[in-house]
Amino acid sequence: MTRQGPTRRGFLGTTAALGAMGLVPGWTTAALARAGGTLRLRIDGDNNVLDPGFMTGGTEIEAQKQCLPFLAQYARDGETFTWEPSYFVSKLEQRDATHIDFELVEGLVWSGGYGPVQASDVKFSYERMKDSDWSGYFDAMDHVEVTGERTGTIVLNAPFAPFIMITLCHGPGAVLSEKAMADADGKFTVDFPAVCGPYTYKATPGQRAVFAANPEWNGPKPAFERIECNVITEVKAAELAFEAGELDCTEVGADTLARYIKNMPEGTGITVAGELQYMWMGMNTDHPKLQDIRVRQAIQHAVDVDTILQGAYSGTTAKSHGIICPGLIGQRDSAGYDYDPAKARDLLAEAGVSGLELTLRTLNNQERMLAAQIIQANLGAVGITVKVLPLDSGPFWEMGQESKGDTWKDLELWIMRFGTTPDPYEATQWFTSNQVGVWNWERWTDAEFDRLYDEGINETDPQKRHDIYVRMQEIMENTGAYVWINHEPEAFVHSTDVVVNAAPSGELNYRRFEKA
Amino acid sequence: MLYYLIKRLGLSAVVIGLVVLVLFSLLYLIPGDPATIALGPRATPEAIARYAAKMHLDEPVWRQFLIYIGNALTGDLGLDVFSDRPVTAIIMERIGFTLALVCTGMGWAMVLGIPLGCLAAVKPNSWLDRVTGVLSVGTIAVPSFLVSIWALLIFAVHLRWLPAIGAGEPGDTADQLTHLILPAFAIGLSWVGYLARMVRASMLEVMGENYIRSARAFGLHPQRVIFGYALRVAILPTITLIGMGFGGLISSTVFAEIIFSRPGIGKLIYDAVMARNFPIVQGAVLVATGLYILVVLFSDILIAWFDPRVRESL
Repeated sequence: MTRQGPTRRGFLGTTAALGAMGLVPGWTTAALARAGGTLRLRIDGDNNVLDPGFMTGGTEIEAQKQCLPFLAQYARDGETFTWEPSYFVSKLEQRDATHIDFELVEGLVWSGGYGPVQASDVKFSYERMKDSDWSGYFDAMDHVEVTGERTGTIVLNAPFAPFIMITLCHGPGAVLSEKAMADADGKFTVDFPAVCGPYTYKATPGQRAVFAANPEWNGPKPAFERIECNVITEVKAAELAFEAGELDCTEVGADTLARYIKNMPEGTGITVAGELQYMWMGMNTDHPKLQDIRVRQAIQHAVDVDTILQGAYSGTTAKSHGIICPGLIGQRDSAGYDYDPAKARDLLAEAGVSGLELTLRTLNNQERMLAAQIIQANLGAVGITVKVLPLDSGPFWEMGQESKGDTWKDLELWIMRFGTTPDPYEATQWFTSNQVGVWNWERWTDAEFDRLYDEGINETDPQKRHDIYVRMQEIMENTGAYVWINHEPEAFVHSTDVVVNAAPSGELNYRRFEKA
Repeated sequence: MLYYLIKRLGLSAVVIGLVVLVLFSLLYLIPGDPATIALGPRATPEAIARYAAKMHLDEPVWRQFLIYIGNALTGDLGLDVFSDRPVTAIIMERIGFTLALVCTGMGWAMVLGIPLGCLAAVKPNSWLDRVTGVLSVGTIAVPSFLVSIWALLIFAVHLRWLPAIGAGEPGDTADQLTHLILPAFAIGLSWVGYLARMVRASMLEVMGENYIRSARAFGLHPQRVIFGYALRVAILPTITLIGMGFGGLISSTVFAEIIFSRPGIGKLIYDAVMARNFPIVQGAVLVATGLYILVVLFSDILIAWFDPRVRESL
């Protein structure tokens, strides 16, 4: 019998393609012709700190992208995320491994009479980030050389291939007015000292943030003249507001995504921005019960990941084969093990293990608890008794860190999810030898992995980088300490009248939205 | 009366003191390091150190408590973890929305519930009394969050008669009132039942009193007997209930505020709990508790004013 109807893979493929369309440069003639109107969106909380150096992230980055210049922006190259120069630059080129040249377009002006946007603003903005809460994004940068009023060079202290992608395209890459910042005593929170972009920003705490047309903006007009972002904390409330016709676009949860995939309401579309979350079940290789690699491999074979994806995530998430997420260089097509309970039993018998009892720790949210229960049943079927221990976020995030107590010694199994940036280097950094007892809770070390980590950062050839990151995931998998689970999507439901533009990590870029 | 007032104020101060103590302990009762919990697992050691210094977490606990009490007494409830804005200012921005919602919700419940209770008591065991009884018990039994969801689904999502989210356009009173209808309906519905039952029971008791019989015997108009004599006495226990209801609603509006995405104290507390933003949680709960105590105190004083016997009972 042939199965008919939409599949998750087919659906997400189509919607990812739509998302990719959204990453095509938004300054088209069509958009100009239809300029005007209000776009109604959701933000999940107040924007408390808009300063790129001290922000929390999330919708604060969305606000920065509307009101501040960026040198680069995300784009798609087929199925892979990449970058392109933004509207604000006429040139952005990597001259060599440590030099990035830029030229700002002529005519950009700051609001409030702060004059033209200059290369010195870029220098000021990026060099101040080295002393900020987001300094990690600028570790690789040495300084910015100003070579003219609108030209300059970003000088890196060592080759760092992902710099443009993860820093310049992301929130920390925002450019501020040096003069306006001096007037604001070097720091700001809920009001931009000066803006240069199509929108101005005004927020009413607890209610909404409004982006109105910037009268001093002389660049191309965006498709929507006004953006109203309502503060809606709960995803479910936002979904209802969308269904009531009060929002044009909002993020949706896994169950609603499944409902929409099954039965798409008229006039509604779904766009998947990216799937930059990776979830796995980890095992402590130092724990006496799990020191034998055959026991760990048995557990890899005993867990039915497909059932977890259906049972806990309604089939809306992509199956994971490693820590590199879909759309990134280095993503694997398949894992090196499969679901095989018989093999799991053989491996346990070979290791001489019987009556094994383990504790599985997880965050206490609905999906993780369901996943934990499925794993509990799977391992029970091969003779391993699992006790599920749900935890609040405080103790959960501390349990593997040596600096936070002794819980790491008792860790056996846990379900973990990390988020990442659109470059593979970020996901691999948590598993190097110096991360044991910090974020490498599986507690293995491997000299080849550490070497490849450095090579991956320095390498600029995409194919060579792909090979490096595939090999790094093989090394991780061969420790037997990982059962790859899934990559959750950043999915948006929207009116078919709008074309959504979102960063791979899910931040919306309102000025690149289009009218369909 | 003055003695009663002093006793009631003293009792309220003790309750507030206990609440302050519990709120302060909250920081240490939650498992994990307060700074890491507030800033998230990937916070840098520098950010954690800055937060600890800002929150005085590097001081001995007894000193932290004294600082907290001292600041609270001067109206300084600390700074928001994320925006560095004064907690007092953030609470003041939201409290008006909660008070508007509570007053509207309780207001329409009073307007409907009290007359319904009177009518049911005037004609006991009539069809009106029975219908009122069934409706009252029905509305009391349905929790307000369920009413909120159903009201939103029916009137906002399906019929699209009323707005689903927010508090309305700032400065546009008509729009703000429209945005009040569904949440006020949701939180007030069960109070229609409570008030109707309470007023009916009190009225039945009062209507059997000798002075009511005398009033009737003198040939006074029935409406004057009911509203001029009986209700004036029967309303006293209802005032207590309304006072407690107002106070309770201040904290229980959280469901309506979340479901309808309205700004307010309840939603502020909920969001702060989710974000582990302890200064906001402590400040907002303290203010909500203070309001509760204030409203109950006011209703107690009102009753003591009406009924001198109550003044001796504390």
